[in-house]
Amino acid sequence: MKEFKTLMVLDKFKGLFRIVGVDYIVMRKILQVKLTMDGRRVPTAIGNSWKKNNEQEKKDSNSFIKSLWLYMILGAIMIPIVMHGENYIFQMSLIFAILMFMVMSTLISDFSYVLLDIRDRNIIFTKPVDSKTLNMAKAVHVFIYMLFLTTALAGPALITSIIKHGILFFLIFLLEIILMNLLIVVITALIYILILKFFDGEKLKDIINYVQIALSMVIALGYQLVGRIFNVIDINVIFVPKWWQYFIMPIWFGAPFEVILNRNYNTFFVVFSALAVIIPIISIAIYIKLTPVFERNLQKLNNNTSKGEKGSKKFINAISNIICSSKEEKAFFTFASNIVKNEREFKLKVYPSLGFSIIFPFIFIFNTLRSTGWSNIASSKMYFTIYLCAILIPTLIMMMKFSGKYKAAWIYKVLPIKETASIFKGTIKAFMIKLLIPLFIIQSIIFIKIFGFRIFDDLILVLLNMLLYVVLCFKFTKKALPFSESYEAAQQGEDVVTTFALMMLLGGLALIHFLCTFSSFGVYIYILAMICIDMVAWRKVFAI
Amino acid sequence: MNSNQEPIITIKDLKMNFGKKEVLKGINLEVHEGQIIGYIGPNGAGKSTTVKIILGLIEGYTGEIKILGQDISNNNIEYKKKIGYVPEIAEIYDTLTAREYLTFIGELYGLEQGRVDNKAQRLMKIFGIEEVYDSRISSYSKGMKQKVLIISSLLHNPDILFWDEPLSGLDANSVMVVKEILSELASKGKTIFYSSHIMDVVEKISNRIILIKDGQIVADGSFQELKDNCMEGSLEEIFNQLTGFNDHKSIAQEFVAIVQEGE
Repeated sequence: MKEFKTLMVLDKFKGLFRIVGVDYIVMRKILQVKLTMDGRRVPTAIGNSWKKNNEQEKKDSNSFIKSLWLYMILGAIMIPIVMHGENYIFQMSLIFAILMFMVMSTLISDFSYVLLDIRDRNIIFTKPVDSKTLNMAKAVHVFIYMLFLTTALAGPALITSIIKHGILFFLIFLLEIILMNLLIVVITALIYILILKFFDGEKLKDIINYVQIALSMVIALGYQLVGRIFNVIDINVIFVPKWWQYFIMPIWFGAPFEVILNRNYNTFFVVFSALAVIIPIISIAIYIKLTPVFERNLQKLNNNTSKGEKGSKKFINAISNIICSSKEEKAFFTFASNIVKNEREFKLKVYPSLGFSIIFPFIFIFNTLRSTGWSNIASSKMYFTIYLCAILIPTLIMMMKFSGKYKAAWIYKVLPIKETASIFKGTIKAFMIKLLIPLFIIQSIIFIKIFGFRIFDDLILVLLNMLLYVVLCFKFTKKALPFSESYEAAQQGEDVVTTFALMMLLGGLALIHFLCTFSSFGVYIYILAMICIDMVAWRKVFAI
Repeated sequence: MNSNQEPIITIKDLKMNFGKKEVLKGINLEVHEGQIIGYIGPNGAGKSTTVKIILGLIEGYTGEIKILGQDISNNNIEYKKKIGYVPEIAEIYDTLTAREYLTFIGELYGLEQGRVDNKAQRLMKIFGIEEVYDSRISSYSKGMKQKVLIISSLLHNPDILFWDEPLSGLDANSVMVVKEILSELASKGKTIFYSSHIMDVVEKISNRIILIKDGQIVADGSFQELKDNCMEGSLEEIFNQLTGFNDHKSIAQEFVAIVQEGE
């Protein structure tokens, strides 16, 4: 097994662990094994965009450590905030808000497995290892990553702070980051205890899943925001302390700068500062008290007592009767809608794109809104941005063939299925009903609110065009049976050229539509044509 | 058998509740050196729970458990050095290779790395899976994983073995080998406590059978004693009788009837 530099550094603190009664040698062994195993997995949020080639995969390389530079770029957002003047309470509260959000959501999405690994208990605790050592090993394991993560995230801001505000500022900043980390680990653990107390393990996994999805989106949007942060936030606000701010943690961490550096001894700021120091320390004490409770509740992770709801089944059943032509197709429609609903890995891959397709059409409208007014937009042809929600389609079609449980695809082989067309049709229809259509309907309602009822015909045409686009995407991407390949295979994925070509295709469809709006009956003729084309396309293309 | 010696395992009035459900309703047991105990019972009777309590995995029981004369309740971990455990569900760090996993486990038992490595490799060789010693466990078949688990429970030459379903996934030849290993170990003075659902295996290799039902021991004795008490021929029949299960025929008929229903 590999020797880790981190552990060599840890060796320096050997004495400290011995004092609290931890068997250091055993703890080190556990950590070594843990870090080795971490080297063999991919972090979720950033792992999505992280392409590995096969040779690399063979070697153990902790892809989290490798992806740290991405966090560093994100951390650069905070440089201008630190640089900007000496309105410390506002600047630093904002910085701690960003840091707390990033660290906490990364902790939940990427390191929950450390806190929630129930194998530890069965494998290690049955050996002569006392619980203090095992729990300390877990805590140190999480803390090692927190240290790397916060160093990367806060590093740029920390360095800027020395240059801009001097060494005292830097030291306060550093100390507070450590306090913040302690607080976050404890809060996360407490949240888990709370969730596990009232719900079962499946619910907790769902919640972690949604945090992962949110984090993937925030990171992707974060890069867009780097340059614009000052357009969005007016940093020269005058800060007025209010009682409710006692509950906003980032403000606690902003206050000490105000008290120590600006000598502002306002009672509010002094109390905030006190909270920033005292609460993390108290919470650690609570955490140590609660660890046994945590361990006990963890056993619930394996219990799945919850039962599926029946209500939506009826709905899916009714829909499938309308839109599916054969029994087989109907079966696959139901099957695929269940997978969309239940498979977390699928959600993790697809939901961020789903989020983007919700946001993108509006981003363009809001950008224009700054230069022109509402009334100008309402009478314009800006509603064509609704085509941007179709960028979800290529993702859906490409992701269709992947599953975490891809090995279960043997069922396709043993079942007497007449034609593969019904498999594809059923699955794609399920994806559309579950994901695309609801999205489109919501967006259409908002767009009608903005642009008025006059765009109704256009929206119908958009929908028809999207139906064709689905077929085209299917035609021009690699085909494989739904849910039959592993996500690791997705890393090689579709080449950029295909993705780009598909985008152009969408642009083409939108362009024809746009041109049609200039003649009086153009849109209606196009609608009629599309109905025919769609009917033929849906019938022909899936038969392979 | 030296039953006049102090017992290896003593369990007195062991009770355990999960919420409102009473899982164990007072287990009393004394186990002596060199015994092979088959611990059997229907699903959910409390077999695995008993074993998990003994290994410290489940807390909050009442009653007294002594292993090798030591009470296990007061945060004592020394006794675990004498125990080898194969869990019911094959939980294992499967991104590790067998070499990494087995040396790690050995080291947790306080053994020296080089020696464990050597010992583990030789044991793997005997089980015929030496060639995967440096492959990740995630690539193993079910039987191979089970062999690794069995090896991991024996690395430190323990005095007591708790094997929960040790034969699951093994092929017929391997089952024979493991059965022989069990009796060989018992003859060397090891105490073996194992549970299985395969009744003819239990019948053949155990010299004491304990049947547990609804958290209580309903039968305890050698196969011969059980047979004499119950007037039945095989352990399977004894099992059915003592667990009050005799409608397997009608259940099977009903099942097939549903299978054959017209479309």
